[in-house]
Amino acid sequence: MTELADLLSDPRTWWGARGLVHRAGAHLELALLATAIAMALALPLGIAVGHRRRGGAVVAAVVNVGRSVPTYAVIAILFPITLRARFGDLGFWAGVGGLVLLALPPLFANTYVGMTEVDRSLVESARAMGLRPLQVVRSVELPVALPLVLTGVRTAAVQVMATATLASVFGYNALGSFLLEGLTQQDTAKLVTGAAAVSGLSVLTDAILGVAQRLATPWVPTRRRRFGRSDRAKSAPVVSGSALGPEGNIA
Amino acid sequence: MMRRHLMVLLGLLVGLSMVAAACGSDDDDAGGSGASDGADRPAIVVGAQDFGESKVLAEIYAQAFEAEGWDASVQELAGYRDILLGAFESGDVNFSAEYAASLLEYLNGDDKTEATGDVEETVGFLDGYLADNDLVALAAAPGVDTNAFVITRETADELGIESLSDLADKGGDLVLGAPSDCETNAFCLPGLESTYGLDLSANFVSIDDGPSRVSALEAGEIDIAVVFSSDSTIVAKDLVLLEDDQNLLAADNVLPVVSTEIDEAYGSELRDLADKISAKLTTEVLLDLNDQFDNDKRDAADIAKDWLEEEGLVS
Repeated sequence: MTELADLLSDPRTWWGARGLVHRAGAHLELALLATAIAMALALPLGIAVGHRRRGGAVVAAVVNVGRSVPTYAVIAILFPITLRARFGDLGFWAGVGGLVLLALPPLFANTYVGMTEVDRSLVESARAMGLRPLQVVRSVELPVALPLVLTGVRTAAVQVMATATLASVFGYNALGSFLLEGLTQQDTAKLVTGAAAVSGLSVLTDAILGVAQRLATPWVPTRRRRFGRSDRAKSAPVVSGSALGPEGNIA
Repeated sequence: MMRRHLMVLLGLLVGLSMVAAACGSDDDDAGGSGASDGADRPAIVVGAQDFGESKVLAEIYAQAFEAEGWDASVQELAGYRDILLGAFESGDVNFSAEYAASLLEYLNGDDKTEATGDVEETVGFLDGYLADNDLVALAAAPGVDTNAFVITRETADELGIESLSDLADKGGDLVLGAPSDCETNAFCLPGLESTYGLDLSANFVSIDDGPSRVSALEAGEIDIAVVFSSDSTIVAKDLVLLEDDQNLLAADNVLPVVSTEIDEAYGSELRDLADKISAKLTTEVLLDLNDQFDNDKRDAADIAKDWLEEEGLVS
């Protein structure tokens, strides 16, 4: 306990290139970029495939490869290749690659399921009222699917935030470095500091995205959110202003 | 209907338990014949750290013990010395091939350096610390695997660096890539500073994955890499091993370490066999074994089997 106090009162623990502040910044940079890239890839894909309601199994199989390959192995394979990149810190791009692959499955699966769970009669009514496919996606399907899509974003972001430590094995100077140093130098205080920082950021990510989710989908009852998924998607009324008007509840 | 399901389930259960019982009795038989030349002795579990050489050495000792009819196996630890010592403490492993000087510096705390270039002296210091952990060192092997500082041929030619003294003179702004423990390892950053007056702590990058360290060196992301001196990639990639002209590095001979429980149970039988093996483990042998693992991508168990047969250690 005194060791931890000593470590935390040492300014070098906080400042400088090996300090908490710099390393937390580097950790966030890696995790946020990886999540953003994965969202840019998986959300449009999930929306497109979910809208067509076909080919989902095939795409899911491909995307799920990301779940079966260990992130560590992906980073190890990408590391020598990304060395040629010559920009970004050592280990950064390899880390981004591994984490993007990790984030794809929850993002895609939630988006796809959210889209396919939109009641068919709702979509057909919208079409019958003359909405173009893009309008159907934007005004009917997406609003209904949104709670699940956001759940996917939240899951992926938290996973990435916690796993980003792996890049430090490959030279990326970030929060994972505290864990490695703690282990190899028999320094429990460092290990605890690193672990606390990483779990702190993960919990914070979850909390912030939780609030964002609630604000973005105010019609979803807070209590419901914790229980069955399909139940939630179906019980979500269409937002006002959509083609069906405020009374167009599917329930 | 319900009853039929129950009967099927019950049948399956009985079948499974009979299979399990059959397997169990098989194991008992094997154990019985193995232990017939001695009393009931605990199984030997050889711990392998997460690098090729440790895995091959673990297989060598374990296979030789098995050939004696003893119950021996290898436990891969997916980590390094910290994990190994934890596994010794918990009883998950009870034998391992360690390295004399590095183990001593790991066990004796951060603030002092006791290891020397003399292996007898180093093991002498080590014995006390091992006893505190209920461990015993057997005879050290002649083969040494210590930290090695390597640079590329181009860097060496360009800056005229061949030794660590040259590095201290001309390489103060080069970037060092090493495992995370380098910051506190007596044969890494602190040693470079105390023995050579070279402070690289400001341009130090920790890369824990060994092969990635060499790729980073080749790509020019780092200028100096810490590798094992018995690492075959030094020769394969034409890297320059910086000469340790001021004797920073100490006697990191391969050193089998065993729990006192196993030592007492097997006594001189195990010591004699382990010593016979260790005596043949020279630095050249280590380089060759590593070359087979790293470059020929052979399985540790196969490398060990072939070597034991070639050396006539098992028939």
